[in-house]
Amino acid sequence: MKLAWPAPWITGLILPLTLGVAWELAVRHGMMSGRLMPPPSRLAASAWTLARSGDLAVHALATLGRVAIGFACGAVAGTMLGMLTGANVTARRLLDPSVQAVRAIPSIAWVPLFILWLGIFETSKLTLIGLGVFFPVYLGVLSAIQGVDRKLIEVGRVFGLSVMSIALRITWPAVLPSWIASLRTGLGLGFMFVVAAELMGASEGLGYLLLDGQQMGRADTILVAMIVFALLGKAADGLLVAVSRPLLCWQDTARTRL
Amino acid sequence: MTRLAIHQLGKTYADGTEALRDINIQADTGEIVAILGGSGCGKTTLLRLVAGLDQASSGTISVGGQVLTGTHPAISAVFQEPRLLPWLTTGANIAFGGGRLTARDRQARTTALLDRVGLAGYASRWPRELSGGQQQRVAIARALIGHPEILLLDEPFSALDPVTRASLHELLLDLWRDLRPTILMVTHDVEEAVVLADRIVVMRPKPGRVHDVLPVDVPRPSDKALPIFDLMKRRVTSAIDRSLADDRPPGLKSGSLWLSPWV
Ligand SMILES: Nc1ncnc2c1ncn2[C@@H]1O[C@H](COP(=O)(O)OP(=O)(O)OP(=O)(O)O)[C@@H](O)[C@H]1O
Ligand SMILES: [Mg+2]
Repeated sequence: MKLAWPAPWITGLILPLTLGVAWELAVRHGMMSGRLMPPPSRLAASAWTLARSGDLAVHALATLGRVAIGFACGAVAGTMLGMLTGANVTARRLLDPSVQAVRAIPSIAWVPLFILWLGIFETSKLTLIGLGVFFPVYLGVLSAIQGVDRKLIEVGRVFGLSVMSIALRITWPAVLPSWIASLRTGLGLGFMFVVAAELMGASEGLGYLLLDGQQMGRADTILVAMIVFALLGKAADGLLVAVSRPLLCWQDTARTRL
Repeated sequence: MTRLAIHQLGKTYADGTEALRDINIQADTGEIVAILGGSGCGKTTLLRLVAGLDQASSGTISVGGQVLTGTHPAISAVFQEPRLLPWLTTGANIAFGGGRLTARDRQARTTALLDRVGLAGYASRWPRELSGGQQQRVAIARALIGHPEILLLDEPFSALDPVTRASLHELLLDLWRDLRPTILMVTHDVEEAVVLADRIVVMRPKPGRVHDVLPVDVPRPSDKALPIFDLMKRRVTSAIDRSLADDRPPGLKSGSLWLSPWV
């Protein structure tokens, strides 16, 4: 007889739950101090305190706001420039080498210059996040446009579509899956760069909470901030996937889940 | 009346390959012309030029006396692959070909054509949910929705099994009877050419030229049991054989191995 095995996602919970319980027990029985690595119960307690005081919401919203603005700017700029260089050979020859050269600089290396130019407040943070989002989106759009099947473009030409209609009715839908994939990569990088931006110095945000936890020697605060980062990143990605799903239901791919 | 006139057409690709030289083909309104010939003799190139997807190097193509300079609203095409747009449903793919119709006309024609090609319940399916033969039927419907005067077909049935192919031959003739477009079709299949065409143009490679033009004297609908059907097939086969024979090194001229794709 075959054992009825629970849903696959339950399997994935076994390892973290076991470790959590083991750690909890180890600290409870005095085998570990739990000061540098607080057990789940202490994490839950700090999370609850932070949440009830309203601090957690303030910091999370500050971070989310930064990611949202930076992501929007980077995604719009990356999409527009990618469309321009994808559609026009002259624009590509003119602009793409420079963009690629700038891309070779690790984005974090811009931090000192941004601070020098834009100050330590919001502008430099948002610019850093936007820059991180820009590159994957730009590259994704450009390579997707270059990769559009010439055969489908020809269908548009045979049926008398104008250049503009071909762009809207064939190139754009063909590019859509890669565009959304590149937005997801960009969003992930947006969350990465918001940490860097907030570690630069901020008075609020989850990154500030990380720094604060470090300075106060509160590992629990740091861990709570990290967990909230993970949850927010996952939720934002899930939102993007959910919004884009109806646009991609025609796809015939191995990824049943995007 | 001559609908489509191809005059002294030549095409040399940018890399120097001379794909076509001095092609002259005329087709009357409602005539079905099949183009046969060995691989690489320029059949696809010829259709692409007529469709306006490529520029001729010399010569002209005219429709009703008007010389073509690019794509033409009266010309539509079915390619070797269905080339359906994967993000459009079956119905929307058919409607895609009817850009010049009014929205209401397009809707009505789409429904009617879906029915004609035997896909009445399939309007909202995605192309990926259709079989190869069904996809090719959608492609035919898409090519016909805009009432084309000239229909170009590039080996549209070559990827299908013989039974599906035969049923699509009937469907094509059936649809042809409604509108009587001029059809220029490329095929590798001698039987297909004899069943469908009024005239068969046999081409010869390097560079692509017209080798022979054979009128098909088999009455439609063609009865494959008639002796004349087989006779016609044999005449076409030997014309193709000769078109290749001229190209062979001497001494190999009667080698039957060369016939293999068509025997
Ligand atoms: N884009 C291109 N650039 C250069 N040469 C080409 C191009 N397309 C086709 N050719 C050459 O032109 C010649 C005719 O090609 P074409 O595709 O028209 O042949 P075909 O008769 O359709 O062959 P098949 O029966 O195999 O489909 C071939 O020698 C081919 O190599
Ligand atoms: Mg071909």
